[in-house]
Amino acid sequence: MDETVAEYIRRTVLKIPRDEIKMMLQKWGFLSEAQLQTLNFHQIKDNISQEVVQLCEENSADIKQAAVLDIIYNHIYQNKRMWSVYQMKKSGEELEYFDITDFKKKFKRRLRSALKNVTITFKEYEDNAIWIRVAWGTPHKKPNQYKPSYVVYHSQTPYVFISSSVLKSTLPLLCQALIVASNYHDIRDMELRSHSLNSLKDIVFKRYSQNFQTCTPKPLQGGNVEPENADIRIVEENRSEKERIHRLNQEVFGSGPQPKLEFAQYRLETMFKSDPKMDVLDKKEPFRCLVKFSSPHLLESLKFLAPAGMADAPLSPLLTCIPHKARNYFKIREKKGLYPESFVSP
Amino acid sequence: EKADPQKTAFLLRKAWTLYSVTPLYGFRRARLRDYARLLGAFIAAEKQKGLAVEVGVELDIKVALSSLADIRGSELDQAALLVQLSSRSRGSSRNSEDKPVWWGWFCSVFGDELSENVPEHFTCLPLFLSHGAESYTALVGSWFQKTFDCCFRRLAISPLNLSWMAAMWAGCKLDRAASAVELVFSVPRLAQPLDISYAIHPEDAKALWDTVQKTPGEITQEEVDVFMDCLYAHFHRHFKIHLSAAKLVKVSTAIASAHCDGIVKILHSQYLPGVLMLLTELAISQIQ
Repeated sequence: MDETVAEYIRRTVLKIPRDEIKMMLQKWGFLSEAQLQTLNFHQIKDNISQEVVQLCEENSADIKQAAVLDIIYNHIYQNKRMWSVYQMKKSGEELEYFDITDFKKKFKRRLRSALKNVTITFKEYEDNAIWIRVAWGTPHKKPNQYKPSYVVYHSQTPYVFISSSVLKSTLPLLCQALIVASNYHDIRDMELRSHSLNSLKDIVFKRYSQNFQTCTPKPLQGGNVEPENADIRIVEENRSEKERIHRLNQEVFGSGPQPKLEFAQYRLETMFKSDPKMDVLDKKEPFRCLVKFSSPHLLESLKFLAPAGMADAPLSPLLTCIPHKARNYFKIREKKGLYPESFVSP
Repeated sequence: EKADPQKTAFLLRKAWTLYSVTPLYGFRRARLRDYARLLGAFIAAEKQKGLAVEVGVELDIKVALSSLADIRGSELDQAALLVQLSSRSRGSSRNSEDKPVWWGWFCSVFGDELSENVPEHFTCLPLFLSHGAESYTALVGSWFQKTFDCCFRRLAISPLNLSWMAAMWAGCKLDRAASAVELVFSVPRLAQPLDISYAIHPEDAKALWDTVQKTPGEITQEEVDVFMDCLYAHFHRHFKIHLSAAKLVKVSTAIASAHCDGIVKILHSQYLPGVLMLLTELAISQIQ
């Protein structure tokens, strides 16, 4: 067995939390059940990984099999990576039957014609998801297995989720190979990024709830909308306002859980407007700003801004449009014409 | 008033943690060498006791104290005092270079308000800035406290003071490659924490400030309020969010950046005196 393959397998096993190693090796299926029985999973990980490497040596593992183990690890720990969403476009209306063998063949051929040294690995999962792992080399160097790109392609859709390699020049090659292999003619960056792959899928496949009234509303931080105290001496101020805000929130966000995004970024190129009495800036050029919202769960935090008194209700469409516009990077310019207060997001 | 750029170069582009320090009793400029020796001995003794820093690393710590004559506002200010800790690994030759591991400096820039009212034998250097391991800061701090009967306190920067800094620094003359004026807000008390970064193109921020400021060289609270209100209003127009209700935690410009926990980075030597003057004022307010 190649030394570099041995080292790669050793390092991959080291990444796995100790009590998940057995499960992942089973999923991998490269070592027999009998071989797995010989492993002592109660020792330190360093020793476990050495033993795994020895068993792989017995089975003459090569880089192809090692790459499959890496896909399995990244499939389970997909949220450790940052994913970007791309949409492919067809030129015509032809409904083509998707042939996975054809796809794989074309993909490999396209990449290999551009770059001799690549490691390409596929793994199919239940939900029609094809996981592709590509390790990149150069004409003179073997592929770097530690900086691969990962692609998740749902073959019944035009959407591709890419976790790019840090080697930036590889992205165009990857996109090219994808459209050739899937018989599309173009691909565009949807400007939608997150660590939560499932949330990205929820957004583009429209799997999140909108205006769905089945769940009961969660109690708000810092106070309930429906006061439960029976003490009639306590009267809630602005009760009707609170209820109005709550209702508007429901209309916009629905009652179900929101897809998990970590940030939204807006490049503002709109005009600065102020009260003429203030005698401040009155330029004819845009007031250039870059605004970035970050949160472990952005949409959930935005939901509670109005009830917390930090924002008007209804919240700005610039924020609430994120899930149905399926993007979290925006460029905002002034809309000309009848309604100078409204914005255009290309 | 301008500091020699060479001597002060090491002050730039480092993140300094801020403290206020009460006046030092019995401090004598002539005894810097002695103090360095005593502080060095103190640090070595603390290490013996097992109370100090690096575990398993055989390091000798060398202490150097020096005056930075150029860092002061007026003749009424004391010259700044620099403490530098360097390490030299044991067993290496005499020729090996000392590696600086920690810096701390005391200064006063236009700190007359404090020094005017202080009795004899007291030296006023109300602002202390440190860079390096917290454990060294604790050692140096406790030696100074014991030796000169003074008191160190972390200096936090309020949102009010951060907005002053934003307005002041946004109005400074710009290089071609100036970075944005960035305000970072944190929204408290939400189920999921939210951070908002609002970065304005430096030319546009300066253009706005120039129309707000009425008298060059002078800044009033009212002008700072108008500047901030304009920025809040522009933000609200787009996002319907009241930024004024959020907590301003950090301000970052091409001149300098400041964090509410009392951490400052100065990027431009030209503006060093101005920034230090503002920080001296904050330190004095905390002492009084």
